[in-house]
Amino acid sequence: MDIAVIEPGVIPTDNVAPDALKGIVRQQTNPKRWEAANWAPFAVAAASADIELLVQPGIIGTFSTDAGGTAYGMPHAVVIACSAGQISGLLKLAQQFHVPVTVRGGGLTTEGESVAFGGVLLDMTGMSRVLSVDKNKLIVRTQAGIFWHSLAESLRRYDLDYLSAPLNLTSSVGGSLGVGGIDVNSPRLGCSADQAISLQVVTPTGDIVECSDTQNTQLFQRVILGYGQFGVITEATLKVRPYTPLRMHYFYYSSLRTAIEDLQLLDAGDAADYSGILTMMDKVVNLLVAFDSDEREATFMASWRGRLRGHGEAAFTLLMGLHYGLRPWLWREALWLRERKRQLFPEFRRPEHIRNGLMHDRTVVFSRAVWKFWGSRQMVIPDIATSTEKFVDAVEQGNAVCRKYFGHYTLYCVGIRLREDHRQHYEMSCIPPDATTHAYGCEFEPMLENAVYSRDTLQSFKNDIYDIGVKLGGSYYRFGGMMKGYIRRVFGDAVVDRHLAMKREADPGMILNRNVIF
Amino acid sequence: MTAERNSIYGAEACSGCSLCLLVCPVWRSTFDIRLTPHGRAKALQHGATAFDVADSIDTCTLCGACEPVCPEEIALVDMVLALRRDLASTMPDRVGNAVVQLQQGVDSNSTTALSAYPTVLLADSALSEQPQLLQTVLALFSHEQAGLAADSGADIALALEAGASVPEERLNRFLAPLRTVRRMIVCDGVLLRALRDWLPRTRIDSLGEAASSLAGVRARLRPDDFYVIESRAYHADRERLVAHYDQLRVSSGCMMNLDLQRLAIPTTASHQWMPEKRRVDPADQARWILEGRVVARVVVEDCRDIAVFQRVAPYPVLHVAQLGDAR
Ligand SMILES: Cc1cc2nc3c(=O)[nH]c(=O)nc-3n(C[C@H](O)[C@H](O)[C@H](O)COP(=O)(O)OP(=O)(O)OC[C@H]3O[C@@H](n4cnc5c(N)ncnc54)[C@H](O)[C@@H]3O)c2cc1C
Ligand code: SF4
Ligand code: SF4
Repeated sequence: MDIAVIEPGVIPTDNVAPDALKGIVRQQTNPKRWEAANWAPFAVAAASADIELLVQPGIIGTFSTDAGGTAYGMPHAVVIACSAGQISGLLKLAQQFHVPVTVRGGGLTTEGESVAFGGVLLDMTGMSRVLSVDKNKLIVRTQAGIFWHSLAESLRRYDLDYLSAPLNLTSSVGGSLGVGGIDVNSPRLGCSADQAISLQVVTPTGDIVECSDTQNTQLFQRVILGYGQFGVITEATLKVRPYTPLRMHYFYYSSLRTAIEDLQLLDAGDAADYSGILTMMDKVVNLLVAFDSDEREATFMASWRGRLRGHGEAAFTLLMGLHYGLRPWLWREALWLRERKRQLFPEFRRPEHIRNGLMHDRTVVFSRAVWKFWGSRQMVIPDIATSTEKFVDAVEQGNAVCRKYFGHYTLYCVGIRLREDHRQHYEMSCIPPDATTHAYGCEFEPMLENAVYSRDTLQSFKNDIYDIGVKLGGSYYRFGGMMKGYIRRVFGDAVVDRHLAMKREADPGMILNRNVIF
Repeated sequence: MTAERNSIYGAEACSGCSLCLLVCPVWRSTFDIRLTPHGRAKALQHGATAFDVADSIDTCTLCGACEPVCPEEIALVDMVLALRRDLASTMPDRVGNAVVQLQQGVDSNSTTALSAYPTVLLADSALSEQPQLLQTVLALFSHEQAGLAADSGADIALALEAGASVPEERLNRFLAPLRTVRRMIVCDGVLLRALRDWLPRTRIDSLGEAASSLAGVRARLRPDDFYVIESRAYHADRERLVAHYDQLRVSSGCMMNLDLQRLAIPTTASHQWMPEKRRVDPADQARWILEGRVVARVVVEDCRDIAVFQRVAPYPVLHVAQLGDAR
């Protein structure tokens, strides 16, 4: 396959999804499956290089979709990752025979980014070993396919914990460093991607390279938050910290705007160790605030608590009772909220995770709740990321879209502290270009329950949300895969073309994660 | 065609969330998704037969840790057992050993003999082979006048694990004397699951739960003890037992083989079926269980774990019954 040399600034023809980078008119659907030219000689070469291609329908089917459950695709073969050397050999052959390789960690994308539409699916979870833990220097070296939760299990034996990771148990380290990794402590500690000290990366041409802020910096900048475009992360050195249980506080609001203003007030003042908003539609808006130490909690109670406009649970329940008591025509909504609360709240208070009033293993608690109450075989979670200033507007507009499409939904809002020295990492990522100090993200998650929605309905909903991002000038956490049509609209041609030129240089065959961004 | 076949053994509900991988000892030692509930369920969804996933189902240790974490509430242990049964029905050679034991016959208690005891102990094959420890266990429950069932159902437990069919006559012979028993203490986790189905009105506890409920045992557990819960029985009733063991941990201050999700990390020593296909080394699991812990003594519920921990731990290992004295 000939790849024309493209000068930055020129919009090229995309050989993968020709319409993807020009601004999509219609809703994006699955990319075309790769037609398997050269598959036979590639398979022969792989066998002689001792790279096992698994082709049984069972293993191929295992990876037919991602957590979103709306994009479906089949690889021609699966390779279970076992070493950087094996991956290097695979990518060299893939370049030689122009075979696409899709990398998959936990597969928790929702837009098909970790789904292979033909070619090889590289299952990174085969590389899930913790390599070393340095308790004194507070760093860990780990293989990058490991699930954050498995890493946490190892770290806890030494009374350590990771800094920030997605609030689910089965996203992988490599998959998160490539896309973000946002936790309820990200307003203070930043996202996972900002916490990596150094990485071992296999480049798309098969070189095994160590990179960091001081070594092979350009590669580091592109791989972090790079959506797997510039290399496969095989090992990572990460900062860790002493483990602490949480002192949790919940404040309840009936106004999104007020809750977000209070959240941002706390974040700007560094008043809490953890903060975020989780809602039941726009009716029950819960501001979660938590602390690692009694001292931090005491300071908050003395200096910040009085400034928050939220209520405690009992007072808020009373207010809601009054609100719905005066509006009997809303009884269905009231009943739904009551039932939801009855099911949900105990999950956050399970006795085996609460000791002396402290919450232990928060990710387990949150993740259990996430899968139990929000998870389903189809998950549609469009999001918007903006600067601090634009965030309230973005959430209010997104909320209106949710109301238009769905009876029940949840909003999850959280801040991300930014690192000025990582500006280069943020270009063309989920961090909006105009954000300073903090960026904010909101996920809009409809409760699909047992209703059946067409793909077009779901896609239109996502587009309505993403259009807000374009209008306000923001970014998205999930802008790859089926949503990649928004990339040019939101980042502009100059930035996209520059990244495309870099990609073409790094990956001449355009084989690595070809349906994600480019 | 069985109902199970119609519903591909419950696998159709699998969303592929991978939560079962986190707790699976086979996953931990292989990092091969094909050998996990996720891999099996997805393979079945894509047309695989029991034969296609034979290797995967043979390596399952039946520890049960995957079941409580599955958000789709798939009966993952039953799925493996059903697949093994279906394989055995087409390939009888697979279960030769299990069938031989079933056919050898077992001395049966008479109904009256067992009904004389308020509590009956069903020892597993490992405990039966250690007469001294067996006596210690019985002594622990002497205040309840516990009696030992001569027919422990060990052959049935092995057959269940292997997927061999248990002749109705043999099952009836085993269950008949147990029907009048008020409380049973059962050592084998697979048998315990089945007994709860067969005798729903009888109180059936695992040996671990029964022993660790005794005040005398609880009082002798120390903060520097490491307590190893037997995983099969624990996971079969995890929602209830998580509170039991949490109270034990709080009252004694001891450490336990519970992971961050409060699942019991198994040594898998009770995995008897198809030893040649075993992918999990119990000693390796024991090392992982103890990694980073400062321990003075290991206390185990499953007597098979004594030898496992003795191989890897430089400190005393004892059975929970040896903590002694029920009073
Ligand atoms: C229920 C649910 C809850 C979620 N909660 C959060 C949350 O709280 N915070 C948050 O930040 N996110 C959250 N997410 C999103 C998800 O966790 C992130 O997208 C996650 O970081 C993905 O990790 P993964 O291992 O699943 O990656 P995958 O989905 O497997 O892959 C993500 C992308 O990275 C690429 N990739 C994967 N591994 C590598 C590697 N080793 N090297 C190079 N490229 C690689 C893939 O090709 C793909 O493009 C949630 C998602 C779901 C479904
Ligand atoms: S029962 Fe145990 S060994 Fe078998 S799949 Fe479940 S977790 Fe793995
Ligand atoms: S936990 Fe259940 S739903 Fe999730 S992958 Fe495993 S079997 Fe499937």
